[in-house]
Amino acid sequence: MSTAQIHIHRAVMDDSLREAAATRAWLAERRLKMFNFIGSPGAGKTALLEALADALAGRLKFAVIEGDCATARDAERVAARGISAIQIVTGDGCHLPAAAVHQALADLPGGMDCILVENVGNLVCPAAFDIGETAKIAVLSVTEGEDKPLKYPGLFRKAGALVLTKTDLLPHLRFNMDTCRQAIRQINSAAPLFELSAKTGTGVAALADWLQAQTNPILQA
Amino acid sequence: MHEVSICQGLVKVVLDELTQRAIGAGRLKRVRVVAGQLHQLVPDSLTFAYELLTRDTPAAGSQLDLRMPPLLAQCPGCGWNGAIEPPVFLCEACGAGVEITGGDELFVEALEIDDL
Repeated sequence: MSTAQIHIHRAVMDDSLREAAATRAWLAERRLKMFNFIGSPGAGKTALLEALADALAGRLKFAVIEGDCATARDAERVAARGISAIQIVTGDGCHLPAAAVHQALADLPGGMDCILVENVGNLVCPAAFDIGETAKIAVLSVTEGEDKPLKYPGLFRKAGALVLTKTDLLPHLRFNMDTCRQAIRQINSAAPLFELSAKTGTGVAALADWLQAQTNPILQA
Repeated sequence: MHEVSICQGLVKVVLDELTQRAIGAGRLKRVRVVAGQLHQLVPDSLTFAYELLTRDTPAAGSQLDLRMPPLLAQCPGCGWNGAIEPPVFLCEACGAGVEITGGDELFVEALEIDDL
């Protein structure tokens, strides 16, 4: 018995990429932007969305898609700030699948300017799966240590913007901000870096301004 | 850590191809996959996931043949190009941020089947 070679040259993420492309087309039709917030559990992603709800109130209408392995706690937290939020429960899934995000789009209210997605807390897997977002936003808290970008370069390389959270805790930590900035720049030399505290509000405005500029470039002109 | 999720996509593609081409159970011997260094896949983890996910499917017993092209980059500043080692994505010559020109592939290249 001999063997035959069948050359197929087909993307491993075939299905996932198709769903992501469908989401991208859906967003383009409605002139909507979508930002995919990715970071470890406890990096402060939900607190950041809460702070953005306050900072963007009255100037940018956004809805939130939340991803977690269990519970609707994050969607409830965001909804408490008057933001429309949809929770996707992934069970054992370590990231938000493109298909689940695409399905959730149908449940979003109209009249939005953009969609903020909070992916499942994880520095690795969510970065590997395109969900059709305009940009990935890497979220790292200063309590995680300044070397994390070098240890998990995938996310930091792909991110269109980088956020360092919990800067109010810096006086209590050994965290070296320059070392961290340098680590980030070795991986991603171009994306804007926002250093902020969702708790005190310091630095949140700069990220809010950036999101608005990305969302409404025409109105800005 | 993301090998299992990525492997789910891989197995889906493989099973779909087997169905489309009416290739019966047990005939698939080898799946050739190209996964560039950028994806940072751990071969052993991927192989483990592949064996687990193909169990009790028409692809059961087939081998995974993984090729991992190196990460290649080009400097938009000075024109340097060559291989880089993650996590540093800087130009060796001038230190500027580089553009990836290779090593970001992730696809099933070929299926090797028993020819009847």
